[in-house]
Amino acid sequence: MKRYHDIVGDGGSRILEQVAEQRTRITDGLAGVRHLVAVGSGKGGVGKSTLTLHLAGALRARGLRIAILDADFNGPSQARMAGVQGALFVPGSHKVALPRTGNGIAVFSMGSLIPESEALEFESAAHGDSHTWRATREFALLGEILGSFDWGALDLLMFDLPPGAERTVQYADFLGPRTSFLLVTIPSEVARGVVARSVAALSKGPNRLLGYVENMSGYYCRDCNAIKPLFSDRGASPRRTPLRAHSRGPHDPRSVRAGCAVGAPEPSGLEIPCLGTVPFDPELARHCDRGIPLAELPETPVGLALEYVALQLLDSLETTGSIPDEVPLHPLR
Amino acid sequence: MKFLCIPCDSPMKLQTIGPPEGGSLSVVYSCPECGYEIAMLTNAYETQIVQSLGVRIGPAVGAEPWNGSGAGCPFTAMIPSTPDEGSKDLAPASERERVSHANGAGPGGPASERVGGTGGAKPPGLSWTAAAEMRLANIPAFVRPMARTGIESFARERGALEVDEKILDAAREFFGM
Repeated sequence: MKRYHDIVGDGGSRILEQVAEQRTRITDGLAGVRHLVAVGSGKGGVGKSTLTLHLAGALRARGLRIAILDADFNGPSQARMAGVQGALFVPGSHKVALPRTGNGIAVFSMGSLIPESEALEFESAAHGDSHTWRATREFALLGEILGSFDWGALDLLMFDLPPGAERTVQYADFLGPRTSFLLVTIPSEVARGVVARSVAALSKGPNRLLGYVENMSGYYCRDCNAIKPLFSDRGASPRRTPLRAHSRGPHDPRSVRAGCAVGAPEPSGLEIPCLGTVPFDPELARHCDRGIPLAELPETPVGLALEYVALQLLDSLETTGSIPDEVPLHPLR
Repeated sequence: MKFLCIPCDSPMKLQTIGPPEGGSLSVVYSCPECGYEIAMLTNAYETQIVQSLGVRIGPAVGAEPWNGSGAGCPFTAMIPSTPDEGSKDLAPASERERVSHANGAGPGGPASERVGGTGGAKPPGLSWTAAAEMRLANIPAFVRPMARTGIESFARERGALEVDEKILDAAREFFGM
């Protein structure tokens, strides 16, 4: 009796064929993108979206062509932060043009399509059992977005991932080996533990781990013009002492990177390079809420820290080099 | 999934897909050697899993290729659609609801105020040239209603009576795309 692999084709359903066509369309659509970087964590609330937007802004200021895909479909925040809520989507001859920020960053976010008062919902034949199909549907939607929008020629496409260590791995599987990962943590043992799980899971796959950024690494007090601890010392990395680092002066970018042994394994348990630390600045949070770009926060510790991390990211990517286009986005198994 | 006629040791071929009913599809396969037919009756979970992949079950003949527009899904008949937008099976449900608001069919709300910034009563839709409609059809179903509304608003602001490719190109240029 014949077995599954003895039979060519599927008798007419064409399901695998169609999935392959989808993947080809996505691969073709991203052919002009030099680097794909997914910004993830595993932990929620660590500032992935904020870092994504402002790292994009810092690189854009250096003349790079940047786009952001807000892959957090259920909790999109880029539309508000990037100022593209209510953006107009204009069809081109074959694909949809992406909305752009004032400084020229192309942004796709479900927040441009769905008001914050509504949740993303899908029609379903399996009513009330979304746990059985929802993730699959969301990845199909991601594929549709990647295949339908005009990404064009980019130096960098950044994916702002949703929280969840397992989701991070799912995105790695879906986006394929071309995509490198930048992880975000905060100086708490809980967060670092969750991120360590993401590192462990991603390390089993082919995707490159560029490194991690420690966000909220102290907070910048404008009244004192100093960076103060935001989390307890117990949660802090042994090499990172924001106050001591600040002794170089709040406007010295070295002050915000001093505690991070760039390129070396961290004693924190995250065995990937640290690309820098970024202090929390309430003013930055205000900017994000109002969709004001980082360029309006010049010469502050957080601005300089972001600039530094952006350069580290760029260096890391250039070290990696671009992956040839013929590498499939995610090989059909 | 493949089906094999054991007596003939021959792969069966898809023949027909019955109309969806209660979340179930009836997919008929037959053996090309002996003509024996079987029906695969999917439960709602199985139906939904395939739908979630964004693919169509069915013979290649007459099938629309996947083009990212959401028009190629086999489950169109399972989902109510409006005449002008075709299948909305791939569109987020909340988007469909919002579309009805934006079209003035619903009670209105934040979305209708946000799209095109019109708010309040929605003016009647402009006519679209065939070429402009074709460009609109190329874009994903979940974006299409918003794109239509926004572009019509853009066209009205410029005194246009219909949306053509020049308007679309002007919108792209205006918004720096």
